[in-house]
Amino acid sequence: MSAAIELDKVRFSWSSQVPIIDIDHWRVDCGDTLLLRGASGSGKSTLLSLLAGINKPQRGEICLLGSDITRLSARQRDKFRADHIGYIFQQFNLLPYLSAHENVLLGVHFSALRRQRLTQSATQTATDYLSRLGLSKQQQQQPAAVLSVGQQQRVAAARALIGAPEILIADEPTSALDTEHRDVFIKLLLELSQANNTTVVFVTHDATLAGHFNTHTELSQLNPLPQTASAGGSNV
Amino acid sequence: MFKLALKSLLNRKTSVILTVVAIAVSVALLLAVERVKEQVQQNFANTVSGTDLIIGPRSSQTQLLLASIFHIGSMTNAMSWDSYENIAGRDEVDWAVPISLGDSVQGLPVVATTEGYVKHYRYADKQTLNVIQGRWFADNEQAVLGAEAAKTLGLAVGDQLTIAHGSGGLSFSEHDQHPIAVVGVLARTGTPVDQAVFVSLETIETVHGIEPGSAEHADNHQHEGHEHPAESITAALLGLKVKPLALRLQREINTYEKEPLTALMPGMTLQQLWKTLNVFEQTLNGMSAIVVFIGLIGMLTILLASLRERRREMAVLRAVGAGPLTLFSLLVTEAVLVTLFATFAGLALLYTLQWSLMDFIHSQTGILFSLNLPTPAEWWRMGLVVIAGFLLSLIPAWRAYRQSLSDGLTVKV
Ligand SMILES: Nc1ncnc2c1ncn2[C@@H]1O[C@H](COP(=O)(O)OP(=O)(O)O)[C@@H](O)[C@H]1O
Ligand SMILES: [Mg+2]
Repeated sequence: MSAAIELDKVRFSWSSQVPIIDIDHWRVDCGDTLLLRGASGSGKSTLLSLLAGINKPQRGEICLLGSDITRLSARQRDKFRADHIGYIFQQFNLLPYLSAHENVLLGVHFSALRRQRLTQSATQTATDYLSRLGLSKQQQQQPAAVLSVGQQQRVAAARALIGAPEILIADEPTSALDTEHRDVFIKLLLELSQANNTTVVFVTHDATLAGHFNTHTELSQLNPLPQTASAGGSNV
Repeated sequence: MFKLALKSLLNRKTSVILTVVAIAVSVALLLAVERVKEQVQQNFANTVSGTDLIIGPRSSQTQLLLASIFHIGSMTNAMSWDSYENIAGRDEVDWAVPISLGDSVQGLPVVATTEGYVKHYRYADKQTLNVIQGRWFADNEQAVLGAEAAKTLGLAVGDQLTIAHGSGGLSFSEHDQHPIAVVGVLARTGTPVDQAVFVSLETIETVHGIEPGSAEHADNHQHEGHEHPAESITAALLGLKVKPLALRLQREINTYEKEPLTALMPGMTLQQLWKTLNVFEQTLNGMSAIVVFIGLIGMLTILLASLRERRREMAVLRAVGAGPLTLFSLLVTEAVLVTLFATFAGLALLYTLQWSLMDFIHSQTGILFSLNLPTPAEWWRMGLVVIAGFLLSLIPAWRAYRQSLSDGLTVKV
């Protein structure tokens, strides 16, 4: 089984002084679904921004799908993200002035590769995804801003998965949902990812979700730092 | 990108529309200044052609030109008939047309002149005056109307009018005892001729209660058996046999011994007039440029203000693969769209205004604003506005770039 994600001696700090990420080695297999748990302010989002290639570690290698993205330029990393990574935020995932449907299309907007992977037209695929996630045709055409939080998160999932990216990164996507919606959302998300054989990195501070995933990793074990910043850490 | 920018703008309709209106109005103003200047200049330059010299009593050249050709303002002095005859009789003079001004018909200027006017007056590209109805006056107590004058007065050939002394509106001293018959109407020229009422010099003398030719003069008449049609005149148009002699003759007339006179070459004096008006035009230009700038600053303000609330939007775009440069160009695109749209709205506004005011301006000033396509100068101005909008947009674009770099995906809201 090849590695979707492999980190080696990665060290990252925001403003020079204290490193917030210091990971000796971490590997996620292709097709794995992984729950990464950590306390608020422990650096979960920071780690994800490294994986997404938004930020670059000061040291170490981050290999995604076999290529070391720390060797890429910022521009190439943006391209890599567009082509291979789907990303879901905790909330406010959508552009409020686009319809739900148009928001899904954004997922392939910056990637010719992901457009090529579609088996039918992007419009049709977006409609299919949203229907499978339980949005009516009418809701799909509504501006994203009028949808409920649960619906918005599903639109975000469709956007992250359209064009079958190899890696899905979800940063506490269910923390704004109630328990009932949360479980349904995770089920749908994993169903769609498995259909595309997408590797899932699902970040949360909530250990009760572990049952849904193949693997459960604690960030504190991976990243054994004296958590100096955690006291005032925010939960973004 | 374009579609994204457009939708994002539409999402902020109210502030964007207000900005577009502000910029559009200022662009219309900027273009109007240019257009008015251009067309006034064109109209003025078209008003007189083929006349080499205009002579009159001592005054400023501008005053004499404005009074004699444009019927704007008045001459305080007059020029004696003797001096006129003297100059008109010189060898180098091909033709001479005397003009006497100062009276009006319901506010329209009366031009007392001779048959020479219709023969020698040229406008635009050496075009002649055409009498489209009736004929030119041949006798006293007959009048010919400019096209616009006929319309304003509601008179046609066969009707009668009375002349008031002075150039005021409905004058108190109308000479009802001298009804004058309309014998002709001129074709439209787009010059002040359209507003004028033409009569013979003798007619105006009669109106003033002077028997034509009765005045005694110290000098002897040069043409025996030919009475003076008037004692004095306001100005005269001269055509020369040899055009280059104009400068010399002008100098001689300006230093005429028997009477203080002024001679001018219409083209040169118009140019001087432009130079004077140039300061005025520059001021207007400067002011409208400032107004445009304020409009653009308004746009800059809404773009900058929007950045804070759009940090999430930027993070979302970055998450789907947009680089900071993409966000930079998104903001530039938005600004350029706003300025482009506003500029064309301004142009449309200008045409609407021009179209609706055209008749009014023509009847008031005799200046005909033709609805032409934008001139190169106007395109150039519009281009400058868009370029200015583009340059200003670099500020919020740069901010967005920096912001998206430091925010990444972890926006604190
Ligand atoms: N863009 C940023 N710039 C500077 N510091 C940041 C930024 N994002 C997060 N941090 C800091 O990094 C630490 C970890 O934050 P984060 O990775 O968001 O934790 P988590 O997602 O686990 O709650 C916090 O102390 C936070 O203040
Ligand atoms: Mg976080």
